[in-house]
Amino acid sequence: MSLRIMLKILQRHALMPALVLLQVALACAILCNVLFLVWQRVQPMVAPSGLAEDELVLVDQIASHVRPWTAAEAREGQLALSHLPGVRSASSALGLPMIGQVTVDYALKSPAGVSVGVNGYFGDGLVKTLGLELVEGRDFLPGEYGDIGVSQSSSGVPTAKSAQSIIITQSLERQLFKGESAVGKLLAVPDDPSDPGYRVVGVVRHLLRNQVDLATDGRADDTILAALRVGDTAILSYAVRIDPVMREVALRGIHDTIKREFGPLMGGESFLRIGTYAERRNEALKSARAALWLLAGVTIAVIVVTAIGIMGLTGFWVQRRTRQIGIQRALGARRSQVLRYFLLENLLIAGFGVLLGMALAFVANGLLMHFYELPRLPWNYLPIGGAIVLVLGQLAVLGPAMRAADVPPVVATRAI
Amino acid sequence: MFGYYLDLALHSLGRNKILTALMVLAIAVGIGASMTTLTVVHLLSGDPLPGRSQAIFYPQVDADPKNKDSSEPLDMLDYRSALDLWSAKRADRQVMLVQSTVRLNTDDAGKPAVMMPMLSATADFFSMFNVPFRYGGPWSEQDDAARARVVVITDDLNQKLFAGENSVGRVLRLRSSDVRIVGVLKPWRPSPQFYAIRGGRFAAGDTSDFYAKPEDVITPFFTGLDVNDGNFQQFTCWQMPAHPGHLQDSPCVWVALWVQINDATHVAAYRRFVADYAAQQQAIGRFTHSGNTRMRSLMGWLDFNGVLPSNVRLQAWLAVAFLAICLVNMVGLLLAKFLRRSGEIGLRRALGASRAAVFAQYMVESGLIGLIGGVCGWLLTMAGLWFIRQQPVAYADLARLDVPMFLLTFVAAIGASLLAGALPAVRACRVVPAWQLKSL
Repeated sequence: MSLRIMLKILQRHALMPALVLLQVALACAILCNVLFLVWQRVQPMVAPSGLAEDELVLVDQIASHVRPWTAAEAREGQLALSHLPGVRSASSALGLPMIGQVTVDYALKSPAGVSVGVNGYFGDGLVKTLGLELVEGRDFLPGEYGDIGVSQSSSGVPTAKSAQSIIITQSLERQLFKGESAVGKLLAVPDDPSDPGYRVVGVVRHLLRNQVDLATDGRADDTILAALRVGDTAILSYAVRIDPVMREVALRGIHDTIKREFGPLMGGESFLRIGTYAERRNEALKSARAALWLLAGVTIAVIVVTAIGIMGLTGFWVQRRTRQIGIQRALGARRSQVLRYFLLENLLIAGFGVLLGMALAFVANGLLMHFYELPRLPWNYLPIGGAIVLVLGQLAVLGPAMRAADVPPVVATRAI
Repeated sequence: MFGYYLDLALHSLGRNKILTALMVLAIAVGIGASMTTLTVVHLLSGDPLPGRSQAIFYPQVDADPKNKDSSEPLDMLDYRSALDLWSAKRADRQVMLVQSTVRLNTDDAGKPAVMMPMLSATADFFSMFNVPFRYGGPWSEQDDAARARVVVITDDLNQKLFAGENSVGRVLRLRSSDVRIVGVLKPWRPSPQFYAIRGGRFAAGDTSDFYAKPEDVITPFFTGLDVNDGNFQQFTCWQMPAHPGHLQDSPCVWVALWVQINDATHVAAYRRFVADYAAQQQAIGRFTHSGNTRMRSLMGWLDFNGVLPSNVRLQAWLAVAFLAICLVNMVGLLLAKFLRRSGEIGLRRALGASRAAVFAQYMVESGLIGLIGGVCGWLLTMAGLWFIRQQPVAYADLARLDVPMFLLTFVAAIGASLLAGALPAVRACRVVPAWQLKSL
């Protein structure tokens, strides 16, 4: 049957198709936005961390209530930890993956003028301790490190005379240097031409930032390592890389060492945390996971309700036209043709619905952006949401359409 | 007539159980989701001090030398400014308060010490914020001045430590000081924890911690500073403090000041007093600027901090959009259900029923579906709120259905289904009797 006739039939009984169309449009609009929200929360969970995850233990919130820790104490702690049985290396660090309480922000500007805001991690020998994979350049040299601490300057970041050495990720290299090698190149500080900036000495494959909420839309690896050692500081933290076979021994050793080295000044009232990477990750992603369950619930509910609606309406639509179907069958239409007719009709209605829904999704996203500081819905969510709804429509209409195909030709001979 | 229509409706609903169930399910799920999220919004956006909040203000001056007259002042006060404004006693009531975490040692040797959030506030705290007492009462202003070793505890802590008995006169050990209990609160759960709100503009919408429970241990302000010296956290500093945790005379803001001004005509005078204080501090060289003083009302301060978490609002919008889908769905299903009975409608019309009567009959049927959907929706709302109570958020324990929201559940369910039923009912009453009778 030609498309024109199909449209004409729909036009004549416009109410039913209009309701299906409206439902499809609403479902499409909601699904596009919900899928986008889901993806925003899933991204940090699936982003590769670049770390030796099984071997990492994080120690943080070592706080003294008497005075700031000195650089010497920080280093002694590092030395004591790295000589423990079962420990491969340890670094006194500022900024650690999956620990969002302490974050360091950097702004980098490439020679070509691209600016990126990144998270920075400081610490002695972090490449080795975190188990990062260097793909280009080299690790920091021992002489390259500067000290960072309370007494260095009021804002915390020392103003060096020469460019500070940094290690960036491959993703940053791509963003800042567009495919060229970054090693040896300089990065500037935006809006501060007097600052000597940073020199890239190495590139690692991945390194997940610790502002996990921002690890979306290709920003997960916007992280750098700076050649800075932790000097005097109010709160100490350590990254410790252990031998996974000796986990228990190493963890006990770390506990005892921290107690021994820092216990007297911590006074037993600090918020000291010693946990494996897996534990800290689990914690950092807790709220994102809860939100994800909720969104999953919404998605399923929308799909189920829409499917029920389409099924109910089309079922009735078929029932009303039983006689017409009978006549068609009597005049020689095959079952498959009747089936195809109803599937095609639904595709047509749902297609218009999806078009309307995409426009609605776009408007809804505009409102959400305005009120909730959400990013703009990327256009590729629209066809994805649309496709889901179209498939859903076809599945929902399958039952009623098969019932229509089963209408025997003899119906045509009954009272008209 | 209503009784007869109800009878017809029940009969009709029983005839196609699956379709009926689907419609009830649609309305119930839509209502359940919307009412769950709207209840949360309702509970989180109320007035924490009804009848009193318009008289409560949060004065701010700005001691940060890096700020200018055009910048927003820091969210809390430095110790000097707070103390000066508080001691001037220019308002009807004034409270200085600060929060910290303290080690609570219990008498029983077996129990380990626990870290507890502690509130240290001046005596007006209880009267100003209508804090209810079960046993004993607040401390006096003399206790404030004398740095008396006294404490007020919450009902929760009293249950935990003393099994709910009258514990006034008993002694708690906070760090290395003994403090005597002078009062035990009745259960008190302001929503949000309004007196401790600040920094909302830096929270990027993640403000669920504003709904935390009040601290279990409440000491006089200066007593707290003595007892827990070295354990105070700044809101922010413009320079590194010399002694972390001991913030008197530090370049940090960490104290909140609340004032109560009962007479609305005195508000402007107090505002001027705060501005004059800042100007005077600039004159003596302690401030670099004095043009950005603020004094927001309690509700104004909550607004400024955007207390309602943005994901709660987002969920509410999602749920309402979902309800819209459910309604369209229901319109369709009702239409199918009503028009299937075109023959019956034709017969009734032929026997003399007016269009209005047919319309009324189908609206009664829609309303009945709404009522059943409302009951199921209410159950789903209870389930949804239970789910929220299991979430790791500070407001979890608040998520309970109150009477207005309970009623709204049914009003919304029946209203929604009547709305959804209107179009199908109009279509039903426009059925032409003759056609239907012919095809019977």
